[in-house]
Amino acid sequence: MNESLKRSLRLGLIFGIVVIFFMLIGFTNVAANMIGDMLGNIEQTSVNPELPVLNLVLFTGLMGLFTGVSATKKDGQDSWVQVLISGLIAGLSASIIIVGFILIVGSLHTQGVDFRTYLPNLGGNEIQYLMFYTTPLAAAVRFILIMVASSILGSLIVKSFSSGSTVNRALKSLQQKTTKKLDVQTLKSALGNKFILMGALVAVAVLMYFLPFVWGSYWNYIMGTVAIYILLGLGLNIIVGYSGQLVLGYVAFFAIGAYTFALLTAPEPHAIEMNLWLAMLIAVLVSTLAGFLIGLPILNLRGDYLAIVTLGFGEIVRILIRSDLLTSITNGPKGVTNVGQPFLRGQLFNDTNYMHLLMLLVLAGLFVAKRLKDSRTGRAWISIREDQTVAQATGVNTFRYKILALMLGAAFAGLSGAIFASRNQFTGPEDFTLMVSVNVLCVVIVGGMGSLPGVVLGAFVLKGLPELLRELSDYRLLVFGALLVVMMIVRPNGLWPVSRPKFRKKPLEATPDEPVEVEA
Amino acid sequence: MTRTAISVKNVTKQFGGLTAVDEVNLEISEHSISSIIGPNGAGKTTLFNCVTGFYSPEEGEIQFFDQPVQGLPTHKICNLGIARTYQNIRLFKEMTAIENILVGQHARMDSTWIESILHNPRYVKEEQESIDKAFELLEFVGLSDLADTPAFNLPYGAQRRLELARALASDPVVLMLDEPTAGMNPQETAEMMAFIKELRDSKNITIILIEHDMRVVMGVSEKIAVLDYGRKIAEGDPAAIQSNQRVIEAYLGPSLDGILNRKKRKKQNDA
Amino acid sequence: MIEKIKKIRFTPRLILRMVIAVALLVYLTWRVVQVTSSEAVFGADTWLRFLISGLVIGGMYALIAIGYTLVYGILFMINFAHGEVMMLGTFAGYFVLEAFSAIPGPGTEGVNFLNAQPIIALILAFIVGAGVAALFGFLLERIAYRPLRGAPRLIPLISAIGASIFLQNAAQLLFGPQRRQYSNPDLLWRGTGWMIPVGDKSVMLTYTGVFSFVLSILLMIGLFILVKKTKLGKSMRAVAENKQAAALMGIDVDSVISKTFLISGALAGAAGVMWGIHNGLFNHYVGFIPGIKAFTAAVLGGIGNIPGAMLGGMVLGLMESLGPALLGLDFQIKDVIAFTILILVLIFRPSGLLGEALTEEKI
Repeated sequence: MNESLKRSLRLGLIFGIVVIFFMLIGFTNVAANMIGDMLGNIEQTSVNPELPVLNLVLFTGLMGLFTGVSATKKDGQDSWVQVLISGLIAGLSASIIIVGFILIVGSLHTQGVDFRTYLPNLGGNEIQYLMFYTTPLAAAVRFILIMVASSILGSLIVKSFSSGSTVNRALKSLQQKTTKKLDVQTLKSALGNKFILMGALVAVAVLMYFLPFVWGSYWNYIMGTVAIYILLGLGLNIIVGYSGQLVLGYVAFFAIGAYTFALLTAPEPHAIEMNLWLAMLIAVLVSTLAGFLIGLPILNLRGDYLAIVTLGFGEIVRILIRSDLLTSITNGPKGVTNVGQPFLRGQLFNDTNYMHLLMLLVLAGLFVAKRLKDSRTGRAWISIREDQTVAQATGVNTFRYKILALMLGAAFAGLSGAIFASRNQFTGPEDFTLMVSVNVLCVVIVGGMGSLPGVVLGAFVLKGLPELLRELSDYRLLVFGALLVVMMIVRPNGLWPVSRPKFRKKPLEATPDEPVEVEA
Repeated sequence: MTRTAISVKNVTKQFGGLTAVDEVNLEISEHSISSIIGPNGAGKTTLFNCVTGFYSPEEGEIQFFDQPVQGLPTHKICNLGIARTYQNIRLFKEMTAIENILVGQHARMDSTWIESILHNPRYVKEEQESIDKAFELLEFVGLSDLADTPAFNLPYGAQRRLELARALASDPVVLMLDEPTAGMNPQETAEMMAFIKELRDSKNITIILIEHDMRVVMGVSEKIAVLDYGRKIAEGDPAAIQSNQRVIEAYLGPSLDGILNRKKRKKQNDA
Repeated sequence: MIEKIKKIRFTPRLILRMVIAVALLVYLTWRVVQVTSSEAVFGADTWLRFLISGLVIGGMYALIAIGYTLVYGILFMINFAHGEVMMLGTFAGYFVLEAFSAIPGPGTEGVNFLNAQPIIALILAFIVGAGVAALFGFLLERIAYRPLRGAPRLIPLISAIGASIFLQNAAQLLFGPQRRQYSNPDLLWRGTGWMIPVGDKSVMLTYTGVFSFVLSILLMIGLFILVKKTKLGKSMRAVAENKQAAALMGIDVDSVISKTFLISGALAGAAGVMWGIHNGLFNHYVGFIPGIKAFTAAVLGGIGNIPGAMLGGMVLGLMESLGPALLGLDFQIKDVIAFTILILVLIFRPSGLLGEALTEEKI
């Protein structure tokens, strides 16, 4: 059989399975309702509890469209007829799977079988909706029609946009005309101009100052979480991104910082209640010390082992915190309440103040991380990451630098932990699960290992974006997991990959005060 | 009076049951160009690894100007002034050419991480000086135009030269080159030979080579040591080595007499 | 032997390690002696109970650990999603047993199939459980790992983490977050077993426990034979040693890798069904902790070393079961023990109990 036919068949089958999967996890209903919200056509009443079938049709059509699009070659080599056939085959093979499922489930349902003990998303209402409120057979026919039609449509769309076609050429000339105006070079040289740069910075600073007042406490909370994750990301970036040590238990330092701060400032269980800024400092120091102590024994372990051992450390810290053994110190599973909050002009910090504090810290953190990156220290770290054995033979004391990276990373985590506890006024062992370590690791890797804008972007995407898509929050982790896999395959360097600095040669006459460096 | 730069005394290195280096003795005079040759698997790179601290020999001593260095961590050995290149080029791939050289200078710089953040005058000055020096080295090896190219993007010959520049960046007293002309065409090889001589003449560096290309070996070396199965089987100047029967056998295989002799010798060694 | 000792170079690091090791050993021994002799909180019967449960769970850990070690030996990566593969096996076995408990048995009145033909039901449950798990192991490799072969080690690890999260949540969304109970046949009802008298008390040797343990041993033996004697086993070992050479010798490396994942998945699936039968309650999260612990066991035994994984699993199971009591600590600390063992092993014996894979940076 022809290669492209096989491909269409295979992709059709895959998409068929995907559609069934969506049905089983209830996503079809949720997505259809989202479409309905957009169209404004959902009018459920007690008299007419039925949802508009149109939304289901549109959603299925969308799936069919994707099927057709993926089944067709993008380079435009196939003729219109071949493209048509690809779409047809893909749509048909997807339909077969879907139809099989619908017929089985539908007929069992009409006989009275209740799936909900095993598959909670296949309640009676849901199944009826999935069958367009008709019989299984009629529903099957509808599915076939929708899938095949939209799949063919998808293929045709791909063909008309692929290279060589009229649409494609039109788009390309349009692109050329516009990029002439938005020249990246001119943008860069504009920023090079000192006045424009100053102006831009002032504008950004003003914006950052006023936004927290304007956007309300909900957004302050969200953006505050993003900021905390930026700080965590910066710290882990030093450990993983710069020095290449795969640490999977980073949450341990976060927890140590948070708990140190909490225990020092809360009235219970120890009633120390020391000065907050001092407590914050101590939290950072204790975390850093923890980084040192944890680092010592494990420094020579190879990558994967380091990962599992540090994962173990993270879990140990959490389990110990909530254990009966240490309850007298940590308050066990109950956590620490009434964690101290700083004062500003006689009033307790409110969320705006926290936001400002976090913004400042993020800026400071970025500054420090940047300076470290483009220095002898930073280069030593990266050489360790690239080839530790050779780095050491080239004069780098790998032990010292690896420990340093761990300590600095731990310091960042300790600071974030202290503010985290303070902002929430509470901290407990369940705030420090493995998922937190995984999240921070993904911020660093998905953003771009070693890249500072990458860390910021990663934090926004991984922590901010889910907030925007709250309706889909049930599926958040599913998407997260899939996203990680896809990112690693498609763009392992991250969303904003790190770029190496460029060095311009110093003019022989003048002696500038700063090394002449032009970052890319 | 020329001193002994590197002194290898009765060094043995074993991996489990395999003896890779077997009681090797070697003396390298300072400012000299020496080569270590021998068939594949003779233990040449292992010996290099012992001298540069990658391995710790089971027996024996290695001295650098009368200072024992066996078992020292590799960065300390680099600090002392021994630098090397690698058989299968080990550059820091994601870093640019100039950054590789800057790392090479690590041992000769001493700014701390705190100074990196503060950018105090001493730090700034040291950075600038090292960048200048890096550019000089780039020019020395002919890579000035490629300063900002990531190392993995460089063509093969450029990578070899960069690795050499990185080794030179630490101001070494002894430079150890592991198959520096591997994969080079005759013209590049001739350039490398001239380059090696230039290094010794202008910078007074002691150079030790591992090489397979006999033109290079005979062309630049003042002294040659030959290893086979971990043992040193011959030592001398190029002329002596070229006519040494054992050396020829090691490379080309034994003559009938050689087979019989070798069996007898092996029996003696094993006993 | 004495020559070997003479050759050891006593660096400060080595001395420090030795001091710490000795101190730990002394402390632990003192602790154990203190607990067992003086207080006698636990009678002999309780110790026997711990021992039994340690062996049973050790067998399950061993099966999962073998899966990790097989994959690591061949691809040098930690299959972070392996615990989820086990979980899918648990679910699959559950559905089979549920189905059998719903349909009537052949020819008998009022007895469901599960109790009428328990052996067939169990066999099918295991086959389906192992089969589903094997399938997902296979798909995992194809979708999430194969495209990343040759990438720096961090990348496939992240992909594995992503796959693990995806599978866990897919199971949660598909089947719901509630805990489910395995329907055992009456023959193998949880909590029933032989009573063994110990002193004036008695300890129960559960049927499910014996069943799991025996099955674990059988599967381990089966795997051992597979790896040592069959052609596939030889191919697997060849690919693990040197992929290029194996390919040059005519071995289809991709196919061997796929088969490795199939086998590793099948073992995990079987362990998953066992887990359900013996422990009863499970949900989508059931694979996570055993997965991590089994990996600990694999490292403990020497990663890449199959007998090591078996030994590591049994040792870990026993230590987890007996450890907290021996040291006079709380049972909550159970999980901590696994990790602490791992850390200690990696510090003091990096190659594991039996293995010689490299755990320190290679030159």
